[in-house]
Amino acid sequence: MGFFPNLMKTLYSRSLSLPQNSRRRNQKLSLLISSFTESNKTLIVQTTNSQSTIRSGFRVLKHTLAFSSSEIQTMKVPASFHGLLVPSTGVRCGFCSLAATEPRTSDGLTVNGIVAGRWPILDENEGDWKSHAAAIAQSIQLIKKRLQWKKMIVRLEMLSAELNKADLWDDPVHAGKISREHGSLMGKMKEVNRYERELLEHIDMLKLAREENDGELESESLRALLMMRSSVKEKELEALLAGEQDSCSCFIEVQAGAGGTESMDWAAMVMSMYKSWAECHRYGVTVVDEMPGEIAGIKRATIKVDGEYAFGYAKAEVGVHRLVRISPFDSANRRHTSFAAVAVTPILGDTSSHFQINESDLRIERFRAGGPGGQHANTTESAVRIVHIPTGVTATCQNERSQHQNKAMAMAVLQSRLDQLEMTRQAQLNAQHTQSLTEISWGNQIRTYVLHPYRMVKDLRTNYEVSDPDSVLEGDLDGFILSFLSASLDKDKDN
Amino acid sequence: MNSSLPRTILSTISPYSLAFKRQKLPISTRVSGPVSFPSISSIPSSQKPRIPLFLRPPIFTTSLSDLQKWQQWANNLALSVGSKFVDSDNGPDTNILCREVKWLLEDAVEDKSILCQLVSPENGKLVKLRADLDELYCLWKQRIEERRPFQYIVGCEHWRDLVLSVQEGVLIPRPETELIVDLVSGLVLEEEGLREGIWADLGTGSGAIAIGLARILGDGGRVIATDLSPIAVSIAAFNVKRYDLQDKVEIRQGSWFEPLEDVKGELAGVVSNPPYIPSSQIVGLQAEVGRYEPRLALDGGENGMDDLLHLCEAAALMLKPGGFFAFETNGEKQSKFLLDFMTQKLATNVHNLEAISDFCGIKRFVTGFRR
Repeated sequence: MGFFPNLMKTLYSRSLSLPQNSRRRNQKLSLLISSFTESNKTLIVQTTNSQSTIRSGFRVLKHTLAFSSSEIQTMKVPASFHGLLVPSTGVRCGFCSLAATEPRTSDGLTVNGIVAGRWPILDENEGDWKSHAAAIAQSIQLIKKRLQWKKMIVRLEMLSAELNKADLWDDPVHAGKISREHGSLMGKMKEVNRYERELLEHIDMLKLAREENDGELESESLRALLMMRSSVKEKELEALLAGEQDSCSCFIEVQAGAGGTESMDWAAMVMSMYKSWAECHRYGVTVVDEMPGEIAGIKRATIKVDGEYAFGYAKAEVGVHRLVRISPFDSANRRHTSFAAVAVTPILGDTSSHFQINESDLRIERFRAGGPGGQHANTTESAVRIVHIPTGVTATCQNERSQHQNKAMAMAVLQSRLDQLEMTRQAQLNAQHTQSLTEISWGNQIRTYVLHPYRMVKDLRTNYEVSDPDSVLEGDLDGFILSFLSASLDKDKDN
Repeated sequence: MNSSLPRTILSTISPYSLAFKRQKLPISTRVSGPVSFPSISSIPSSQKPRIPLFLRPPIFTTSLSDLQKWQQWANNLALSVGSKFVDSDNGPDTNILCREVKWLLEDAVEDKSILCQLVSPENGKLVKLRADLDELYCLWKQRIEERRPFQYIVGCEHWRDLVLSVQEGVLIPRPETELIVDLVSGLVLEEEGLREGIWADLGTGSGAIAIGLARILGDGGRVIATDLSPIAVSIAAFNVKRYDLQDKVEIRQGSWFEPLEDVKGELAGVVSNPPYIPSSQIVGLQAEVGRYEPRLALDGGENGMDDLLHLCEAAALMLKPGGFFAFETNGEKQSKFLLDFMTQKLATNVHNLEAISDFCGIKRFVTGFRR
């Protein structure tokens, strides 16, 4: 938090001007100490050595200790630092701090307490500190829910136990996986804990400022709360994408349903909707495979969407998309209903978790026009299709400029599809997911786009709807995606 | 067709003459007529390589909306072709041509990411180009109306993982030929003598096989590439330099083995994609090939095997014992003939003869080893 150094300076200079051993001086110093551990910066406290400072400093230290003992371990104590003693017995090992006591303000307020207090949450501009605090506390709770907090703690304990096993590194691949997951979950947990702590510290500080009628400090604390309110709000969104593969790039495939040209045209509209969506989000978009319809549209197409969290967002689009309109391909101007199916597969960055493909299981087909070939033919067509014989999964690429490159891209698509198939299989084995294979790969009908007789796009899963289909078809999908992601995570009652 | 041209171009009507002054190309009225073979002399015989479009400096500027107009015009022109080229000589269809429009744009703009904004270009937004917009109009007209090969239009061909500079006077490397490098790569993994030896690529053209080989050989391995055509020699040198392989690939001008007397009997391998089309078939070739590619690289004499026969005989003497050769042929008939020929006439020198299929299942290559 960028605001800390400033605030620390203010606090420090103010506390020095207070009479020695006064309660307020000690209170300020103790807050200072907590900020100090927070920002991991060294600070020279040259003043009093009174018992009460040590005691209250001790309290604050202990209070942070539960959450970030490792930070305290790395804290540097300069030689001139003689105001405070850090008790070595208080430093505990990192893995066992999970079931820590809940952090509190000096008068016993907790994050859950704030939420339970149901303080009214007003607009950001209407600056009551309680409103900010309540908004932040609510966000923190939502983040925890989205991270599936309780499950996460159980998982972390499991991983910690695994990490403590002596024979862990006998299988380095497994060990690497475990420790990576542990690190990532630990990072998320620490972040949330830090928010909780920060919120309570801000409240402490604010109350203190009020007690003292210190207007400057009060407004500074208020500003800090406000800043925190908006940054935590952003984190709410990030917490939606906490899944293991969410940060990956992905392939999006659109397939036209039955119904000839009208549905092929619809498939092309859906594909261009995703292209614009991806481009708006500054993702890299590459067409991998495109099978055009005879008259218009596409039979199917695959694009590669490159960038952070492409899969996390795009996975919300998996399913069948339905269009109702007067078909421009129907000379009798009748109303038609057509379907397009959307599949999204992540491109796993971590190669160790890839499905192992045997070269001998592959059949590699190249499309070439007939004729004698070789020197007789000049063509820029070098499409490659790869069939994975045991599963029947195929991948085609014809948009690269050499056969070699098309083969490499088709292999990447195949890898991604097989990875997903394998993940689905394992998920079913673990019985952690209730979704069936079809739901994951192609899905059920998820959204209806009506252009006639009225105009509306409605998501059947969340009932989220908009009355401007054009903007949606031009790629404005965020409302649908976010409402689906939050609905699917927030409905989970366990957290 | 002209009605789809944006007005600005109609008014300056001949962008054609701007960009390609030094080059006399066949006239477009030939499109549907019988394909005749233009004399090679009408092709620029400048021996200084032309820089491929994608490597030229982005010194031109145009508005995004003008570029979009170009794109629409180019796509419309491609669509107007329908199945005409396919029907006449198995040439490109509209799908392929539309894809080429996209690739031409990719090569022409400085920053590819701008292309996704072409759907709805922001007003007044500018884009940096590696060729003048007029030249792009001219180039695409040449592609459609005169069937100038796409690879000569952009000045490069993507082959394996390489991007090779090509221009009139040099054969555009074919995807079938990629397999020669794969064949060798399997061998050199196992045999150190081959991996660290001297290889020859005869009639190297753009240098494709030579560069492909140089990248799979060991530290001690090197490639000597020969070509009779001075322009091929200079393009191959350009490509070798671009992949920083000057220390590994040496280019010598001359016919087949003639420049290789100093390594006679020492070669670890000999590979070649020599001309193998029978002279009588040259006239009926696909327009892109027959009108533009060098006859020197295509015409293999009366039965197409003049050069192949010479290569087979000479390879038996030039290779060191255990050395490998692979030659591309016109297909089943030639491959079988060459295998029979070697079995009968050269059996004391070569063995393990094989005809290998390309990805279409056509017996495309003959391979074997020196005893």
